[in-house]
Amino acid sequence: MTIPPASGIDLFADEVVLDPYPVYAGLREQGSVVHLPKNDVYVLTRYDAIRGVLADWESFSSTSIGFNPTVNEALTGTSLASDPPTHTQLRATLTENLSPRALRGLKGQIEAKADAAVAELVEKGSFEAIDALARAFPLEVVADLIGFTGHVRDNMLRWGQAAMQVIGPMNQRTAESFPIAGELYGWCSQVRSADLAEGSVGRGIFDAEARGAIPPNTAGHIIHQYLGAGVDTTVSALGNIVALFGTHPDQLELVREDPSLVPAAFNEVLRFWTPVHAWGRRATKNVDIDGIAVPAGAQIAILFGAGNRDPRHYQDPDAFLVKRNPIDHLSFGYGPHGCAGQGLARLEAHAVIEALSRRVKRLVVGPAVRVPSNITRSIEELPVLEVIPA
Amino acid sequence: MKIVLDRPRCEGHGLCEEAAPQLMHLDDEGELVLDREEVGEADAALAHAAVRMCPVAALRVA
Repeated sequence: MTIPPASGIDLFADEVVLDPYPVYAGLREQGSVVHLPKNDVYVLTRYDAIRGVLADWESFSSTSIGFNPTVNEALTGTSLASDPPTHTQLRATLTENLSPRALRGLKGQIEAKADAAVAELVEKGSFEAIDALARAFPLEVVADLIGFTGHVRDNMLRWGQAAMQVIGPMNQRTAESFPIAGELYGWCSQVRSADLAEGSVGRGIFDAEARGAIPPNTAGHIIHQYLGAGVDTTVSALGNIVALFGTHPDQLELVREDPSLVPAAFNEVLRFWTPVHAWGRRATKNVDIDGIAVPAGAQIAILFGAGNRDPRHYQDPDAFLVKRNPIDHLSFGYGPHGCAGQGLARLEAHAVIEALSRRVKRLVVGPAVRVPSNITRSIEELPVLEVIPA
Repeated sequence: MKIVLDRPRCEGHGLCEEAAPQLMHLDDEGELVLDREEVGEADAALAHAAVRMCPVAALRVA
């Protein structure tokens, strides 16, 4: 075994989080694992190594998914930050109302909402796609799903953004976001069934708690995870759909010609621009990754986006090709901690892609504006200058 | 070769069915049904593809 190669990169520097792909490529060529002394982390860069680590929960603990001790402390006891066997029960509780099985009844409603939203934007002819679609649509879906009303609905976006931001290292972005993430935590700690709309999934979670199907005082934590994990990431993916179709009209045309490519197109959007920049694990013992020695206790940073562009796994990885259908992309993670909300994310994104490809022939987009962010990589503003309707 | 399903871990994402509809399907309740657990050489590649696609690692071959 050899010691890991090192790099002087700061993984969370503004210029890196804004455009990480050139940095990912350099790190990936250095090795499957690269030590970054500036962040005190070991980054995983290649597809096979990332998938292997995600599957191996015994060697790589989720008790350190965040890059500062305060957030890891705050997440203690959640499904996100626990290991089996504790994790197994928490995960089952979390997914009971979130699995594709549970969500089957919502498919028609979500498709109708997406179609109405897209139809209205096509009618307008020009719009700012992030506020008008990428944010508005998942906020509406998640708010209705959980049964949020009133001021909570208004806070969902900033709470969801802050919940992801604080997973970063203790930089200025994290420090500024902690009070906002705290508002979300505080609200979830005191929310009661009656605060949520009748017939909502949120009410269902409280009903499950009342009949003893899930442990006492867990309903609020589950709602916290739905909001913390399900908003900012989906906003990123939906904004990326509009941007990539705008800049790749030939790829939109392929989906228009063959609507069965909708799921493949979403897989490729997620592979090409990965919503989550870095995610943590902690090595529980001395481990060997592709012949590189990683010491017990090491903080790992999984770079999903680097693995998704690994030429060892995907041919021509820097091309956006909807026919590629990379079902095994890493953007939802993999294994016991694979994204619990991926079924809902697929419902939302497939509905948006389907509506766009049916109603729009071409989108003329202006330059995308990005702002630096620790964990979620998303577009802040995307002007759609002209819609050429189908 | 045998396909083994970790039932509690399966959440019904259905990607395995897309990869190997000859071997498994989601029923009307969204529960995974293994239509063939024992697979021969001819279907080994399909079985491995289904295992590989499962996003929560609920399938394996033994």
